[in-house]
Amino acid sequence: MHRILIALTACVLLAPVAARAQSGTTLLEQGVRAYSVHEYDGGAWLLRRALGAEGAGALSPAEQARALAYLTAIEVARNQRDSALAAARRLIVLDPRYRLDEQTFPPQVAALYQEARRSAPGVSIRATGDTAIRPGTESFVVHLGASTAPEVTATVNDPDGRVVRTLYSGTVRDSVDLRWNGLDAAGKLSDAGRYTILVVPTARERRSAGGAGWSLRLPIEVARTTVDTTPLPLAPPDSLFRPERGDVRGAVRALVPGVAVGAAIIILPKVVASGEHASGARVLVGGTVAIAGLAAFFSHHPGQQLAGNEQYNRSLRDNWRRNVAEIERRNADRVRQARMIIRPGAASFTTGDTP
Amino acid sequence: MILSMYVAMLAQLQTQSPSPLTGTQFTIGGLAAQQTVQSHVDGSNDRLTGLLLGIEGGLSSDRFALRVRYGQGRVNAKPGTNVAARDEVEGEALLGFRATPWLSLWAGPSARAYTTADGDQRWLIWSGRATARGTLIPGRMQSFIEVWGAVSGNVGNPALKAGGRGSNGGLEVRLGDASTLWGRLGYRIESVHADGLRETVESLTLSLLYGLPQ
Repeated sequence: MHRILIALTACVLLAPVAARAQSGTTLLEQGVRAYSVHEYDGGAWLLRRALGAEGAGALSPAEQARALAYLTAIEVARNQRDSALAAARRLIVLDPRYRLDEQTFPPQVAALYQEARRSAPGVSIRATGDTAIRPGTESFVVHLGASTAPEVTATVNDPDGRVVRTLYSGTVRDSVDLRWNGLDAAGKLSDAGRYTILVVPTARERRSAGGAGWSLRLPIEVARTTVDTTPLPLAPPDSLFRPERGDVRGAVRALVPGVAVGAAIIILPKVVASGEHASGARVLVGGTVAIAGLAAFFSHHPGQQLAGNEQYNRSLRDNWRRNVAEIERRNADRVRQARMIIRPGAASFTTGDTP
Repeated sequence: MILSMYVAMLAQLQTQSPSPLTGTQFTIGGLAAQQTVQSHVDGSNDRLTGLLLGIEGGLSSDRFALRVRYGQGRVNAKPGTNVAARDEVEGEALLGFRATPWLSLWAGPSARAYTTADGDQRWLIWSGRATARGTLIPGRMQSFIEVWGAVSGNVGNPALKAGGRGSNGGLEVRLGDASTLWGRLGYRIESVHADGLRETVESLTLSLLYGLPQ
């Protein structure tokens, strides 16, 4: 017996180091074993660690209930009545139909559990664990159970206590699944952060219970998966824009093709058909082209508004704006499609009016 | 009559999209040409004038282009002269390469046939050409000039080796701000020759085109 105690003490002392790497289930079994050999301090520590395990090592709802039952018994054995009541209430909140095994636990534990049950609302809340959802299309589901038929309001609240979304309002007969799709009341995507699913009795329920208020809280942590978004295109550089007012260079560039081609049309017949008498048609066409060149020159003269260039620049800007709007829309779609990870914490029950 | 048919056809095309092919553009249009033919045969000189109607089209990508033209009509000598009128048919098919944005090089055959009461005369010339284009008002008005020289050729009746050269130039104007119709005023002169024969043909041309002229 002495050896067992020494080994267990060593185990408990070393546990803080080892426990980090252990799953909730292992810690639970060690805590139960510690209870069975009356090593209550170590047992309480191990069970609290087991209940606090997160992620893949987290306890299932049934294991949580078992851990809370043993924790209640340990706290009774340690004469920590308040802690024992708190553990018992957590157990009732988790599963109001849970029955303590009278063969395993002494009558004092069963008595305290009954006392806690009398003051509990008979409402339980349970989440299935870490859940990844597509906001708007999929939902995070929380199971709300009741041994009576209380009329409650269930809301998702932000860290400042503001209601983000009302999930349910009405009577809970046996059970209700609360579903949250990650959006607020206005249909906007909720930011990452810590939220609380808060279940409180309605005013009518409180009046019928003689004014006694209570609240059931399930903390949830909302995280977002990273989304690859396309960077927005930069505005077109100034070098791509055409001058909207005429300048000398532009005027000359418009003049040359007119005058040069006009002159060529008049002169070339003499070269390609030397000896022939070319008609006046060449002068008509060549002259027209040269005059058009002069007209183009004056339409580009310094200060003259260039409608074509203005239109070109406007189209360049409009195309860029359209691209930006399209990429923003696609990015918003990708953000909306990104998964939201919701990690529920341990539910808690408090009596008194809701703050 | 034929011209009004072309105009109606082009007006119909105006409502359709210019090119279904990505990176490829096409041009199609009709033309009317006032033509003057100066014909020199063994020292005799004949001068005939008349109207030709025709169609033309083009297909171009970033670098390469193809263009075709066909026209037919009748040229007459001055009243009182003892020169027979001629029915005339002419055409060309040229393959082009865009060397720079403003300069294109072309090669291909062009042909002209006259039919008179005395018989037919057919000219076939293979030529190399260079076309320069300049923009007067971007997207609205452009000018062009083309020169060509014969690489080889023949005239069919009698069968003689032929050569020649020519030029073609003018102005192209978009008919409306967002229109796909263009108008072209052009002047073309060609001088082809064979042993004892020389034909100089001048044309003042008005064209109506659907699509950006190439």
